[in-house]
Amino acid sequence: MSVFGSGFLINPDLFPARRSGEAWGSREIALTLPGGPYRFSGLNAEQEAAVRGRFGAYCAEGVERAAVESVLFRAAEADFRTIDVRGWEYALDLDATPEALRLAGLRLVGRLDWRPDLAGALWTPDGGGVAFAGIFENFLRVLVAYRLHELGGAVLHCAAVASPQGARLFLGRSGAGKSTVSRLAQEHGAEVLSDDLNALLLEAGAVTVEKLPFTGDYGDPRTPSPPAPLAGLYRLEKDTADALRPLSRAEAVACLLACSPYVNADAHRRDELFGDLLLLIPPQKAWALRFSLGGGFWPILSR
Amino acid sequence: MSTDSQIAIDTATVLRPSRDIRHRRIDSEAVVVRQKAGEVLVMNEVAARLLDLADGRASVGAWVDVLVEEYDVERETLERDVLTFAAELAAEGMLEIADGV
Repeated sequence: MSVFGSGFLINPDLFPARRSGEAWGSREIALTLPGGPYRFSGLNAEQEAAVRGRFGAYCAEGVERAAVESVLFRAAEADFRTIDVRGWEYALDLDATPEALRLAGLRLVGRLDWRPDLAGALWTPDGGGVAFAGIFENFLRVLVAYRLHELGGAVLHCAAVASPQGARLFLGRSGAGKSTVSRLAQEHGAEVLSDDLNALLLEAGAVTVEKLPFTGDYGDPRTPSPPAPLAGLYRLEKDTADALRPLSRAEAVACLLACSPYVNADAHRRDELFGDLLLLIPPQKAWALRFSLGGGFWPILSR
Repeated sequence: MSTDSQIAIDTATVLRPSRDIRHRRIDSEAVVVRQKAGEVLVMNEVAARLLDLADGRASVGAWVDVLVEEYDVERETLERDVLTFAAELAAEGMLEIADGV
């Protein structure tokens, strides 16, 4: 088994043991994502501009109290390995304990600490620009996933499509057809919230879908949408025909668990996640959807 | 993924869920997580029942004693089916021989 962080870091033994270091600057920015606001301090002007450019209207002004505080620190270029990313599938390296989560990735090191409230720290050698925005987003994805887990919700690998009945989630890992279904739904006039990651939360006894600014080919990552009631969960199965079959609760939980990034690999939180996901499956709203490329699945969702 | 198809199982064998898996019963089925592979599987009612019975203490023969009270089937047939299914679950890496037995 490889040492945590060794794929990205020259000296993984020097991983920061606590939230400390040299801040990049004195700028702050707050993001109003589900579970937030999330405030980041220690940014320089270029980093703030990169975050604003990337997350648009999710950036909030005048936030007095944030739900999650994070700090940005400088890291040395020499701390990171040079990686040839051609044909390479990127996956963060995560290491969880009950009190903390350590992250290592391309030009980033991060920590989530529960003290007891969740707090984040991100170290990077990038002082702004598109590359920094990508680093920031990779950290933010993990932070939001753990924050929503704290709240009994989940971040899910899925496409979310708004309809008059609420939001429908189409679940599956890479290659399952999330972007294809998003394209087909969009061709039928539906709004795609995101074809990559969306949030599922239990609020006042109702299961709601919340848009996240983490998109692939479909969805506007700069414009929030209001929460929508969950209209249905659909496990994607590519086929030559279109059909729906109800999922058992076990099948639905298994599908959600497989599609709960980061937290589902955390042995310290997986049992709790199991229980949370059971509560997020409304009766008679979880289906296996066989779909063809003709888009004939769309009308049968409303039956 | 088959991890070991050579485990010999008879009615005296004592099995436990593999250390690599975590499982939870949901209604009549079970959700199984293979931690190393990061896979999530759904096991049917029979497999879920065997995972319940595989507590690292009771022998496969003792499982048959329990199951013969639950299912309307002859003991000889049940024993054969349980041994076959237990061997399949062991070959799939779901069950392993219990330590110290």
